[in-house]
Amino acid sequence: MISVYYFGAIALILIGLYAVLVKKNVLKMLIGLSIMETGVNLLLVSVGYISGRSAPILSEGIGPNGAVDPIPQALVLTAIVIGVATTAMALSVAILIHEKYGTLNVEEIRRLRG
Amino acid sequence: MNELALIVFTPLLAGVLAWLLDIRGLREAIGVIGAAVPLAYAAMLYERAAEGLSFAINLGVFNITFALSQLNWFFVGIAALVGFSAILGLASTAKDSYEWLFALMSLTGVLGVFLASDLMTFFIFWEVMTFASFMMVLHYNKQASLKYFLLSVAGAYAMLIAIAFIYVKVGSFDFGAVQAALTQDAYAKMLGGQATFSSGELMALFGLFLVAFGVKAGLFPLHVWAPDAYSETNQSYTAMFSGVLSKAGVYGFILMYLLIGTRLAVEFGAFRSAPKFGYIIAFLGGLTIIVGGLLAALQEDIRKLFAYSSISQVGYILVGIGVGTALSMQAAMFHALSHALFKGLFFLIVATILHRTGKTTFADMGGLAEKMPFTFAMAFVAILSLAGIPPLVGFASKWVLFEAVISQNLPILGGMVFFGSAIGFVYLIRFTYAVWFGQRPTDLDDTKDAPLPLAVAMAILAFFNVVLGIAPGLVARELNKIFGSDVIGGDLFILDLGFGKYNALAILTYLIAGIAVAAVIYFLGAKVRKVPVTDTYQSGNPVTMDYNLTIRRNFFLPLKETLSGWLRISFDRTYRDIGAWVEDFGEVMRNYVYNGNVQSYAWYLLLILLILAMWGV
Repeated sequence: MISVYYFGAIALILIGLYAVLVKKNVLKMLIGLSIMETGVNLLLVSVGYISGRSAPILSEGIGPNGAVDPIPQALVLTAIVIGVATTAMALSVAILIHEKYGTLNVEEIRRLRG
Repeated sequence: MNELALIVFTPLLAGVLAWLLDIRGLREAIGVIGAAVPLAYAAMLYERAAEGLSFAINLGVFNITFALSQLNWFFVGIAALVGFSAILGLASTAKDSYEWLFALMSLTGVLGVFLASDLMTFFIFWEVMTFASFMMVLHYNKQASLKYFLLSVAGAYAMLIAIAFIYVKVGSFDFGAVQAALTQDAYAKMLGGQATFSSGELMALFGLFLVAFGVKAGLFPLHVWAPDAYSETNQSYTAMFSGVLSKAGVYGFILMYLLIGTRLAVEFGAFRSAPKFGYIIAFLGGLTIIVGGLLAALQEDIRKLFAYSSISQVGYILVGIGVGTALSMQAAMFHALSHALFKGLFFLIVATILHRTGKTTFADMGGLAEKMPFTFAMAFVAILSLAGIPPLVGFASKWVLFEAVISQNLPILGGMVFFGSAIGFVYLIRFTYAVWFGQRPTDLDDTKDAPLPLAVAMAILAFFNVVLGIAPGLVARELNKIFGSDVIGGDLFILDLGFGKYNALAILTYLIAGIAVAAVIYFLGAKVRKVPVTDTYQSGNPVTMDYNLTIRRNFFLPLKETLSGWLRISFDRTYRDIGAWVEDFGEVMRNYVYNGNVQSYAWYLLLILLILAMWGV
């Protein structure tokens, strides 16, 4: 029986992928990318979850054996920052595209081809 | 320092010096000295070739090794002699120091190829030679140099793959080790044991070597670079290009026989009396003779004519190598020598004509024999030698070759080589008459004879053409030393093959007697009378310019018309078509695959991830 966390995370990734592959508007594709990214982060965090344990902060009553896996959390922190940076950059590119070509439809902006 | 290293590296050093100093007069002197050193050392090593010399430089990763044996002494001798003459000719015709650098560098390359004693060294110097000759062509014509470059690169990669393949199996680059390993392999196969190389691998190896060496030798259908590259560079340099560099391909084929020949022969068996793989080389060589010869006859440009004729003549050598008996191998090497001598001479003559008149087409020539008597005398020697008229060296080598082919009962190859000789007369008669005799265009009236360096260079080559022709025993003795047995018997003037004999001295005597008789008749009875050119050609009928077949213009047009169906099949065009297809394919890919749509790329990414996932990566 697949865990509901995994199912939800993978479903988010697939929804994001669907948007990237099928939607024609650049902004919608970027939203798809963001959703995909969220899904990936969720998946990573859920991979590190160990049932019944608490946050990996060593404090009163919680030893190394009482905490969930801290590595995916560190990884996800990094991934979130990267995700925000790429999204910001992609959005600025989208603004430039709209200024230059007057459209956000990917089929119409083939002139971008190098 | 070791003699072998001096032979190989002095030309390069001299070339770099000449290029750096770039002072007129000084660079010529340095260049000529740089080319003279290998010649002097090659002559000095004549006695010691039998005992063998070797030299190695350790480069850390691998060794550069040279060795001298009877076989490569022979080729080094050819390269040093013809290379020296060509460099001497360059002293009159070179435009700038750039040419000195690369001409001498290619001499280093070819000497290194002949002296190399392991596959890696062989390959490195092969590339030095290719690069330098490419630069020489690039200086004159970009289009021609690119064609040369492309085919050379194909050949070089083929050779590199083959070398890597041998190294993986044998574990050594050294010629001796490779030869021993493959001979052992051949015996293992013969006795029904486990062989290292499978049948398919051997066939691939043979194919790769065929491409690698075939490109350099101008083997049909890989010859298409040669007519352009030979004609579009300094013609003095072409004397070395066509005379010596093409021999690197020939030497490569001989090397292939030495290294993997036994194994190939055991694997694929024999066709009639020739080994099957050799018969392929010989047959392609025969086609080379015919195609090169026919195309040479149809050219209107002197340089192109000799370029095609050079291709055609190398075909003879490949036939000799392909037949694969000791006699035919000797014949091939003999012809390699004589081809280098007479073709080097021819290109120096072309260089002289070009230098003095600035013209290259037959239509602009005529009556030069009066104005350039010395060059004409040299041309006469070269023509007789190429056409195979005794007692010049071209006859001796062709005779041995014909005998070698006929004695093995190979009728198709025999027909091909005989046809090649006939077509040789066809194109030479045109060169003889159109350039040297007949009416002279008025703008050639103040043409001077050859400048001194070119004259000396031509004289050297002509001297050897005559001497080795009258005393073919000199060459035969060297060739017998390579094989360690008396394959060609006889003495200094007589070649004795056991089933046939050629006495150069007797023929010379008859020839002189015949000429004396003709001279007596001429002085007693004949009278010279002047005939206008129009009388001889046109039988009194006016001829229109569009079908004006004089010896200088479209002389072989009827032949061209007869062959028109065959001439449509052009490998040059085939390669160009293949190039166009590749370009079209690229365009299609660009339009439909690399289409600028971000979403398509996302799809590709997804598909590839899916495929990888299915593979279980």
